[in-house]
Amino acid sequence: MGADQALSAQARLQLTFEVEEFLYYEAELLDDRRLDDWLELLTSDIHYWMPIRRTTQAKEVHLEFTKPGGMAFFDDDLDTLTLRVKRLSVGRAWAEDPPSRTRHMISNVRVAEVDGDEIRVKCNFHLYRTRLNSEEDSWIGRREDVLRRVDGEFRLARRHIFLEQTVILSQNLSSIF
Amino acid sequence: MSDAIITSDRSIIDLDSCYDPLTGVLDRRIFTDESVYQEELKRIFGRGWNFICHHSQIPDSGNFFVNYIGEDEVIAVRDRSGKVNVLLNSCPHRGNTVCRAEIGTTKSFFCSYHGWNFDLDGSLIAVPNEAAFYKEGLNKKEWGLESAARVDSYKGFVFASLDPEAPDLVDYLGWVGKLGIDMMLVDGPVRFLDGIHKNRLKCNWKFAVDNLYDWYHVKVSHGTAFKVGLVTEAGMAPNDQMVILGEFGHGIGGPGLTHERQAEFDHRHASGDGDPQWYDLQAKHRTDPDVREMLGPQGFRSFGHPNIFPNLWLTHTRQMCLRIPRGPFETEIWWFNYLPVNLPEDQARQSIFGHNHIFGPAGFLEQDDGENWSHSTRGARGTQSKKRPLNFSMGLGQDTVSGDPSGQSGIETVVNEHGQRWTYQSWKEWMQADSWQALMDNHSIPPEGKV
Repeated sequence: MGADQALSAQARLQLTFEVEEFLYYEAELLDDRRLDDWLELLTSDIHYWMPIRRTTQAKEVHLEFTKPGGMAFFDDDLDTLTLRVKRLSVGRAWAEDPPSRTRHMISNVRVAEVDGDEIRVKCNFHLYRTRLNSEEDSWIGRREDVLRRVDGEFRLARRHIFLEQTVILSQNLSSIF
Repeated sequence: MSDAIITSDRSIIDLDSCYDPLTGVLDRRIFTDESVYQEELKRIFGRGWNFICHHSQIPDSGNFFVNYIGEDEVIAVRDRSGKVNVLLNSCPHRGNTVCRAEIGTTKSFFCSYHGWNFDLDGSLIAVPNEAAFYKEGLNKKEWGLESAARVDSYKGFVFASLDPEAPDLVDYLGWVGKLGIDMMLVDGPVRFLDGIHKNRLKCNWKFAVDNLYDWYHVKVSHGTAFKVGLVTEAGMAPNDQMVILGEFGHGIGGPGLTHERQAEFDHRHASGDGDPQWYDLQAKHRTDPDVREMLGPQGFRSFGHPNIFPNLWLTHTRQMCLRIPRGPFETEIWWFNYLPVNLPEDQARQSIFGHNHIFGPAGFLEQDDGENWSHSTRGARGTQSKKRPLNFSMGLGQDTVSGDPSGQSGIETVVNEHGQRWTYQSWKEWMQADSWQALMDNHSIPPEGKV
């Protein structure tokens, strides 16, 4: 299983349920375009990261993703995520004006590790987007999130996003994953 | 000379009149027609020197990197002698690709179809059951992977041409192409970083190229970057502009320090009085006498965007963008990123932060570009709209190319469309030429005097 074996089945069930509730709520905020509210869910030390993926030979699959600290599609902290949200409200953010229509499908949610106040969560996602009349993008991948309990509430402390695309097939990545 | 292209909808594009340099008016059909695109693959990508990779991407024997020349997939690979070969990624037996990974290291290229095996220089070294099935009827020397006709490098930047008649790389680049690359080397030799941002736009490749000279769109397309304080008006949209035009369609366009601004800057630098403006910060390294010598009297005052014709855009943010055509309606955008070899760790981190946040599909600047170019392309598809030509007249007839005793020259002016016009004028000449010789005989040399 790999999940924290110290937890009883009952406790794991309870925790997984809480985690799912948080992830679904967060996805709802993103899809409802309530991005200021979404920012409230982040810890001040959040790391939001999507490495670049490459096609490699099977024997060199360790090269598949770029490494932390190197080139990435996203390598954001709270400041840059706040800028991403802020830019949508100041006008002329053409990639999102008219706004995209997004739907986040979150599945395969699994608590991978509990470490004090922090819970490492793995999940799969399907982010579906349409734009304008007929633009359609579909991004599928997995996430590794770290949720932290702050004053009894979950906050997102880390999001690492691993996309199933090497060449990004969309005209931009203006959505939040 | 070719004068006309019959389009896929059976109209005729007269190459001579499709772009009119006297008015800056351009026929829109060149952005959407399949026949034009096929000719571009042959006459531009199949003929020119195309950027392939940087030496630092494949430092050791067996390292490879896959790229494209037009629609031809090529493998850049360093062989055991240390030489970089550029090989067509297509087995001569049935045409299958022999390298399916985009980066990596290998001892040879083994075809997954029938097992023909090719050495790092492309030569065919093994054919399964050759003696039993071919019975000495196969001359392996004749059936290696095809090499690009010409491969050469300039200061570590590897280029290849599929045309054996192409002039030498240094002559192709000329002083403007070389200057463009030299501008990337003002902090010394560079190493390319692992990881290339790649994404697909639904635009014709020429709209992407045309945009690199475009300092008119900056405040509109990238308005949010100003509004959230990511870039400053003085830095990203200065009034002082300089355009440098080079043979075969190369060019450099964008901000440039006038002689007066340069003198002011030199004075401030000498007296230790800083200036927070972006191009002054960029200009700091250009107080180095060796850099001034390398870039020349015109070049060292330019902070514009170089383009190596046809599709290699170099930037000042230590990034470089290749625009790879994927049919008339699609372009793959590849952002390469590099750092000076001797950059201290903290500055390297800061630079990589910039690489990851400015360009690329999620970049604060570039995410807003794609739809503009795609919709410009789509706007040329309608029966009526394609009849309406495009306007590239900004600054036409209003500026002067001033030369320098060193042989360098430039246009010092405000925001303009000289670079775009030069691109389409050159495009037209490449498309009219039936061979390298014809292009050599009939291409425009960069203008002097009034432009």
